Amino acid sequence: MTVEQIPVTGRPGRRPAARPARTAPAERRRISMTGRRHRAFYLFTAPWTIGFLLLTVVPMAYALWLSFTTYDGISPNWRYVGLGNYGELFSDPQTWKSLGRTGLFAITSVPLSIIAGLGLAVLVNRPIKARGLFRTLLYLPAVVPPVGAGLTFKALFDQNSGAANGVLTLFGFDALGWLADPYARYVLLMSVLWAAGNVMIISLAGLQDVPRELHEAARIDGASAWRTFRSITVPLLSPVLLFQTVTGVIASVQTIMPLLLTPDGTTAGVTALPQSNYLYMMHVFSQYFALGRYGYASALLWVLFVLILIATGLIFRFTSGVVFYNVDPEAKK
Amino acid sequence: MTATSLPPDSAPRVRIRVHRLVLYTVLVAVTGLFVGPFGWLVLSGLKTPAELAASPVHWLPSHVQWHNFADAFHLIDFLGYARNSLIIALIYATLVTLSSAWVGFGFARLDAPGKKTLFGILIGSMMLPQMITLLPTYLIFAKLGMVDTYWPWVFWGLAAAPYLVFLFRQFFAGLPRELEEAAIVDGCGYGTIFWRIFLPQSWPVLSASFVIAFTWSWGDYIAPQLLLSTDRSTLAVAVMSTYVTSAGTPVANLQAAASVMYVVPILLIFLVAQRGFVAGMSTTGLK
Repeated sequence: MTVEQIPVTGRPGRRPAARPARTAPAERRRISMTGRRHRAFYLFTAPWTIGFLLLTVVPMAYALWLSFTTYDGISPNWRYVGLGNYGELFSDPQTWKSLGRTGLFAITSVPLSIIAGLGLAVLVNRPIKARGLFRTLLYLPAVVPPVGAGLTFKALFDQNSGAANGVLTLFGFDALGWLADPYARYVLLMSVLWAAGNVMIISLAGLQDVPRELHEAARIDGASAWRTFRSITVPLLSPVLLFQTVTGVIASVQTIMPLLLTPDGTTAGVTALPQSNYLYMMHVFSQYFALGRYGYASALLWVLFVLILIATGLIFRFTSGVVFYNVDPEAKK
Repeated sequence: MTATSLPPDSAPRVRIRVHRLVLYTVLVAVTGLFVGPFGWLVLSGLKTPAELAASPVHWLPSHVQWHNFADAFHLIDFLGYARNSLIIALIYATLVTLSSAWVGFGFARLDAPGKKTLFGILIGSMMLPQMITLLPTYLIFAKLGMVDTYWPWVFWGLAAAPYLVFLFRQFFAGLPRELEEAAIVDGCGYGTIFWRIFLPQSWPVLSASFVIAFTWSWGDYIAPQLLLSTDRSTLAVAVMSTYVTSAGTPVANLQAAASVMYVVPILLIFLVAQRGFVAGMSTTGLK
């Protein structure tokens, strides 16, 4: 509390004042205020730093420890097996298959929902009647909780009573077993695209920040609508799109929708999933819940964690040249 | 909005009209695709089990079974589960909104050595799949005897959520510096500045954050399934797994009716908060 006691050491020239001091206030007060800001910063960020340590770092470390053991939660005879779980994991064909499916799912679902969401945003950013209503209706599926979405898609793609097969038979096609192999993956993809309103709403906010003058200038220069979109809108939205890509990839890795699309929809029934929807996280669940292999499942989780780090690193790396940041807050009038 | 900008010749006028026709057709068709599935769920909830099992599809229920909704309400302790969901969601959303605003203020308006690193970790932790931490967290909570209590949600709430922190940071960073300068000169502490000056300015983000967090919690399926016993669990879990006959066969029509009742509160909350929500997302600051 005694702010005056903060020693006037350190590197005074290192941190310039936010703007050049116009009237040269008392040096002493400036320094003490810096100290106060420092302490306030740590105080303000403490809930997150402490929470992060206790609720993320500690569990992650615990999982790392478990991944070297045969812990199953019940048996007292668990033992340390070193890298045994990791060795098993790499030779487990299910790991590779489910990993491949997860990668494929992310690579298809993320770009598709970004394109769909951006398209919707452009559509409802136009001066149209009942714009608010359209925006709301398109966004609504994105707020439907996973369980609601799972049950909705189950009803929609039910072999007998589903509307999807209703439409197919209406046009003389055979009814399909949508929720089984090999179609289950498409139902999963559609359930993700159904929530494209999430991308829409964030892109819409980004679109509204695009200065109107830029578009007008481009139009005067004779640029087509597509050209304007490509050369002005997309670059200005690129940070938003990058954010969507990264969060989209991470969300798609941990989707539990396949689970909710199964007949009994519980974690115990994870082994009954159609093959095409047996994603990596499902493999983790099946080891964790169905088999109680906490050690092995923890090793799977850690591998996934490292893979996600690598994937996000690569995304940032490859987009660093094309993402346009306008971070200078002073430039914004 | 078009009358003033129309050129005198009529060819572009026709083109604009065709253009608008296409635009509205696309818009209505796409909206239909997005709303349709939900309509189908409602219809499924109004049919008899026989109709749901029949093939080919019965598009409309021959006799609308309104009582399905009442039956779904009584077959399980719907109200009890709804209350559990509500308690958890309110605890979590309130705490996490306040803690995230608090942390977001720190990252937006204050600094100290290590700020960049901390912020990097915060953003990085957004990329950390929660599912990865959830399973070991569950084991730890189990060891601490906090399984089947709502304490985990209190802790998760107090710990702030990186996504919401980022939302608040963006918003607070956009506010003019003059806002706190006078208060600092007057000797106000940062706590006062946050509480009295910044928080009242940020109702769009506050409501957005609350809605987002409430939706997360209401929609969360894995955490309550892991941490809570059947009685104390949430509607999300109950709707998914308890609609079965005594013989164990699922009752699809009641489950559909129940999931409508489960989803509608979220839709209503969103509709009410929509204005503030969109404004909050655009993080425009003072205008």
